[in-house]
Order: sequence, then C-alpha cells, then structure tokens
Amino acid sequence: MTDFLEVKDLTMRFGGLVAVDSLSFKVAHGSIHGLIGPNGAGKTTTFNMISGFYTPTSGQVLLRGEDISGLQMHEVARRGVVRTFQHSTLFAELTVLENALVGTHMPFRPNIFAAIIGWDKEDRSGAEARAKEALEFFGLDHVMHERAGDLSHGHQRALGMAVAYASHPDVVLLDEPFTGMNPEETRQMMDLMERLKADGITILIVEHDMQAIMGLCDNITCMSFGKFLAEGGPHEIRNHPAVIEAYLGGARHVA
Amino acid sequence: MLDLLAQTGLNAVYAASYISLVAVGLVLIFGVMGVINFAHGELFMAGAYAIVALYAGLNVPFFLAVAAGLLFVGCLGLLMERALFRPLKDNPLGGLVASIGFLMILQALAVMGFGVRMVHIPPVTQEVIAFSEKVRLPVARLYVIIAAIVLLSALWYFLKRTKFGWALRASAQDPEAAALQGISITQTARIAMFIGAGLAGIAGALTAPLVSVNPHMGHSVIVTAFIVIIVGGVGSLEGAIVASVAYALVHTFVTTFWDGVLADIVGLSLMLLVLIVKPTGLFGSADRA
Amino acid sequence: MPKFLIWIAALAALIALPHGLSFSQQEILVFLTINVLLVASYRLLTLTGEWSLGHVVIMGVGAYSSALLTKKLGVYVPVSMLLGGVFAALIAVLLSFPLFRMKGFYFLIGSFAAGEIIRLLWKRFRDPFGGAKGIKGIDPMPDFSVGFYQFDFFEPTSYYYFAGVVVAVCLWILWRIEKSPVGLTFHAVHWQDKLAQASGVNVRAYRTLAFAIASGFAGISGALLAHYVGTINPNAFDIDLMVFVLTWAIVGGTATFYGPILGCVVLTVINEVVLRELGLEQMRPLIYGAIMILSILFLPNGLESIVQKFTQRRASNGAPERSPAE
Repeated sequence: MTDFLEVKDLTMRFGGLVAVDSLSFKVAHGSIHGLIGPNGAGKTTTFNMISGFYTPTSGQVLLRGEDISGLQMHEVARRGVVRTFQHSTLFAELTVLENALVGTHMPFRPNIFAAIIGWDKEDRSGAEARAKEALEFFGLDHVMHERAGDLSHGHQRALGMAVAYASHPDVVLLDEPFTGMNPEETRQMMDLMERLKADGITILIVEHDMQAIMGLCDNITCMSFGKFLAEGGPHEIRNHPAVIEAYLGGARHVA
Repeated sequence: MLDLLAQTGLNAVYAASYISLVAVGLVLIFGVMGVINFAHGELFMAGAYAIVALYAGLNVPFFLAVAAGLLFVGCLGLLMERALFRPLKDNPLGGLVASIGFLMILQALAVMGFGVRMVHIPPVTQEVIAFSEKVRLPVARLYVIIAAIVLLSALWYFLKRTKFGWALRASAQDPEAAALQGISITQTARIAMFIGAGLAGIAGALTAPLVSVNPHMGHSVIVTAFIVIIVGGVGSLEGAIVASVAYALVHTFVTTFWDGVLADIVGLSLMLLVLIVKPTGLFGSADRA
Repeated sequence: MPKFLIWIAALAALIALPHGLSFSQQEILVFLTINVLLVASYRLLTLTGEWSLGHVVIMGVGAYSSALLTKKLGVYVPVSMLLGGVFAALIAVLLSFPLFRMKGFYFLIGSFAAGEIIRLLWKRFRDPFGGAKGIKGIDPMPDFSVGFYQFDFFEPTSYYYFAGVVVAVCLWILWRIEKSPVGLTFHAVHWQDKLAQASGVNVRAYRTLAFAIASGFAGISGALLAHYVGTINPNAFDIDLMVFVLTWAIVGGTATFYGPILGCVVLTVINEVVLRELGLEQMRPLIYGAIMILSILFLPNGLESIVQKFTQRRASNGAPERSPAE
C-alpha cells in the first residue's frame, strides 16, 4: 500500500483568492511526510482540507482510494485520519487523563443506555487502559490527575498528541508541532514522532521551519503560493534550486 | 376596505414609533457595552409609571412629567451601568443575568408602589385628527410619532456629527483601539446607557395614557424589541429602525385581520427564521456576541 | 461505612420531613421536589455549554401531553407521565434542527422565541390545549397501596413520597449519565468542540442528545406537576418561572451536579420559610432579583464554591477532585 493517502488536484478558493491551486501529492504508508513552504504558501489550508475542517472547492483527498474530501471533521477522524492543532488546544478544564479519555471516543464509543445500567464496565476499563497507555507512551502518566491547563507548554503539546494517539489513528496530521519550542523540546518532540512511526502510524507534518523536519521526514512536499513546487527526500529538497528560491534568503534556513 | 387599510397603516406607524425608540436604545447599549439588557422592557415600564406618579398622581403637566420620566429612567440606566455592567465587564453571561435580576427588582417595586392592577391615566388630550369618517389619528398618538422622529433624528445627528457620537461609534467598533485613542470607555458607556435607557423611558412615558399600565407590561415590550433587533441585525441602529417599521406593519395587520396572539406567533416565527437563515440579521453588521 | 450511614440518615430525614410541616408547607415540599428535577435537568443542558430560555416551556410540553393523554385517550397516569417526558424529548429533537444552527447569545434568544411560540400555540388553540384558561380537571394519580403504606394522592405527603421516588430515580439516571463517558464527551464538547470533533465526536449529535435528555426529564417534572395541581395553563410556564430556574442554577453554581439543586433548595427555603413567616411574600421577586445580582457580583461560582472550599479542606489534597473512570 504505497498510495495510502493521496491528494489530487486539490483547490481552494476564498472569494477571488486561490489559496491552494490544484495541488497533488502522495503519502506512503508508515512514512513521515513533510509539507513545507514559506508563509502564505497554503500549507495550513491544505491541512484543513485534508482534516475536514474546510471543504475543498475542487479536487479530492483519497484515503485507501476512498474520497474523503468534504466530509466533516469527525467523519474524517472516524476513517483514521486524526489531526492535532497548532496551539495547545486542549480541554484545559479537564484532567490529563480525561483529555486522553476523550481521545478514546472512537475505539470505545460510549453508549448512553449501557452507561446508565452499568453494562459498559469493559468498555470503560478498556478506554481507561488505552488512555493510560497513550499517556505513558508520551511520558505523561505522572501528571495524569493534573488539570490540563496547568501543564507546562511542552507537556501540553505532548498531551495534544497523546489525545490523537489514544484513538488508534492510521494517520496523524500535525500542524506546526515545533512552533515556539526550544531546541531541547524540539528534540524530544522529534523523538516522540519517531516512536509514533515505529508504532506503524503514518505522519503528515505541516511546518514552516525546514530545519526542524529535515532530519525527520522520509519525504517532503514543498509548495509555494498555493502551488506544488518540488518533492523528494530531505537531501533533494535541501538542494532544490526552486525551494531555495522560494524561501527567499533561504540559505539561512536551509543551511 | 380602503379606510380600514389606511387606519391600520396609521396604527402601524404609531406602533413603529415607540418600538423603534425602545429597540434603538437596546441596540445602542449592546453596541457600546456588549450587553443585552433584559431589563429594557422594565425601563419602558418605569417611564410609564413616572407618568402615573407625576401626571396622574400629582397633576404635573404632561410634558413636564414626560421630561422627568426621561431623566429618571436615564438615571436608572446610569445606575445599571455603575452597579451591574461595569463590575461584570469580563463575565460574558454576567451582565445579562444581572439585568434579569434588575428587571425583577423593578417589577417588584412597581407592584409594591402601585399595585398589580392596571392604572387608569386621564387622557392628555381628546383631540383627534380625522382624515375621513373612519380614518382617525388621536393626537396623543401623534405625540409619540413626532417624538420618535425628532429624537431619532437628534440621535442620528449626535452619532454622526458630534465628537461624542464619534467616540461612541469608535468604542462600539473597537473598544481597545478607542481606548488607545484616548476615548474614555467609562464615559462612553455612561452616555450610551443614559441615552439608551432614556429612550425607553420616554417611549413608556408618552404611551402611558394610551395603553394599560401594569407592572408586567415590560414583557411584551422586550419580546418585541428582541424580535426587532434580531431581524434588523444586532448592533445596527438603521436595521433596528427599518425592522421596527416592518414588524409594526406585519403585527398590526395580522392583529387587525386575524388576532393578536397569531400576530405574536408570526413575529416570533419571523425572528426564528432570520436566526436560522442569517443570524447576524437582515442588515447584518459586525456582531459582538 | 460512614458514607452509607449518611445516606440512610438523609433518607430517613426526607421521609420524616413532611410530618413536621403544615399542610401548605407540605404542598411547597411537593413543588420543591418537582423543581429539583427541573433544575437538575437544566444543568445537563448547560453541560454542553448552551443556556436555553425555553426549558420551562419544554417542561410544559410534558405537562400538556401527559394531561391530554389521560384526558382524551384515557392513558393510565404513570404511563402518561413517562410519555410526557418522551414527548418533550421528541419536541426538543425537532427544535434542535433550527436551534443548533445558533450558538451562545443567539441560541439563548432562539430558544426563547421557540418557547414563546409553543406557549402562544397553547393559548391560541382552544382545542385541544384549552386556550388561555388551559386544561382543568386533570386526572389525579390513582391511589394505590404498597402494603405498609396507603397512597392517598389528595394528601400532599403521599404525592411527596411518590414524586420523591420518581425524582430520585431521575436524578440517579442523570448522575449516571454525567459520570459516564457520555458525560465526559458533553464536557469535551463544551470546552473545545473542535478538538472533540477531531477525536471523532459528532458534536451536533451530542448537543442534540444533551438537549433531548434534559428536555425529557423536564417533561417528566412537568407531568408530575400537572397531575398534582390538576390544572395547567400557558402562564404557568412563562418566562417568570424560567427566570427562577436560572436564578437557582446561577446561585447554586453549575460546575457540579449538586450546585443547581442546592440553589433551588436554599432559595425555596429562604422564600417559603423566611419570607412567608416574615410576611414579605410580596417581595419575593425583589429579593430573588437582589440575590441574583449579588450572587453574580460576589459569588460568581455559586454556593457550590463555598461547599467545595469546606470539603476540599477536609479531604486535603490527597485525592483528586474528580474520578473520571467512575
């Protein structure tokens, strides 16, 4: 299954503005794929179309050959494509464990009648086990009972990924996961992604900062002004003249 | 038939006049303070009771009593601003809840002061302008129409042509930027509250001799005002006026040709329809809700 | 098991309570019991973050449907009460289509408009709703005996016991829902609907679910009221009662399950015991309004925040406040 997730002629217009112009690329199963480009390249718009936040003007998003474009966000999620958010978007008022439990919504779909009678003991313990597993995976088990809003910045980011991971996703979409992180946090974050990949999860990262994801991605798609620019391994992209051109004064970024 | 249509049209113009006075005040308060004032109907009621106390009770000349009512209710507005809305500025539901509390207090005070029953107010004038045998406009109603035209024109001039008005509109659009420009938010809030409440008060005072004054009269007023500001677009003064006229026409005609309850149902359904189709109202402007 | 003993003691106190009261106080106790269910169901609705102004009318839907079912179709009263709840929930599902296109303030106003329309329909259509005078002579709950106790429903005490059992069962169900994964999802929808959606939660469906459940229980409380009072009319479910429900919820606080119930009980006791004894009954709206303003100004988290302060001090910081798995 090489063409696991495919973006085909994806186009998004806001009024007269073409934010994304017939973009196509493919994400291989089990890989870490980067989507990069300078500010305003249309990366986030593309991201929002894949995750179901926007409905594309035209074009398709194919998952295992099925067109998932235009579905609502929860329907996309139920097909195994789970996104994270750019900032620390969490259930700040709930505990860390409760956050992860919301993440288990899909594998352990709550049933209200079973819940009232008490016939969902297995599901509840299953969900809790999965939530704890996800927290352990991201090294958050020791803060399980704290309020999510009280966590440190790095922990909040990790929790965002834990919530996504708890749902047994096939694909995780990460929206600028390195923004505002110091080098140490960045290294830890990269480590977490490698572990997600080792777990068999396909990752698509949208990132402005090329430096951060060079060592991480198997494949990188670069876009500029809403259009496809180049694609290839990190080495190719780093030395691609069009990419360097697009990142004006790019030498600083690419070096 | 033509007579009936003309008469109903006149009735609608009268209704539109006092409704727009109330609704414009509500919109002004919402625009500047970001609060929906649930007690606005009771401010109208307070204006009516000012007439009961001064004109019917103490024989103060009618127009003097109306002016006193305007001042009194305007001061009630200032009180609300100081005691409720300013301390609750950062609590999104707070202002609304507090205004509901204030509404109950005003209602209870009216009951305690004047009793639950409706009060009879001697007519201000018996004069009637007769356009034909069946088309007649009582002069007392004409006062309300004139007041609405004069006051709303004055408000329009104040908002568009004076420095205060400019400050008011600026802080309605962007309070932070306005504060940076040296506009005192507290000052504009006070002015908006005084004018907004005062308009409700004068509408209540002028219509008092024409309607049944009772402590619960604010209810139907606030429902009408809500319909009007939703249909007109929350935050739009022009929209509120246009919607007032449209609503008054629809409501008056349905009342005349069918019945009042059906007219209320039609009005509320219109509002629900607008909420469903275009929540920012037909004259949609920036919403702060 | 000290906790177990506390429950037994509370139960005994609730059973003994009416015997120390006058007839009119017993009647108030019945209303209080019904209102506890009303305000507790309102809280379930606020869990998803929406505040409705139509809840009391939905209660009326339960009252009207149960009354009409018994009167026109001869349905057995307890069954009609249940059906009243079901009917209220169904109306809520219908209303959810227009109303959940709105959020926040617009939902508040929209729910108010929808409620007023329903109320005016009762007023306008004399057949079958009885117009402004409403429905009179609603069948009372038929008397029955459970061996050791003879239920005579002309006695408020009997009805208090009956309503108490019904309300207790309803509260238990509401409690179970809130503490279940479904309840957690309601919270999730409230705090971050986008993230909930990304976790596969159908946000619209959950909003509708909360609205329907809350309305169903409000409907049952309405039915309980109708068959006790024997007469209902559109004005019994107007905005005044809605304001009381709001006051109870706000004064009690909506962060905990018991907050709104606490608010309802405390304010009712203040109202009926203190004001009535002092002869200040007429000032009830005045005092309610003042309490509402004072509590939003000085106690924005409600009475429950005071209770929490005490319980937390006792429990120290060993155990976490909430146990999500239960």
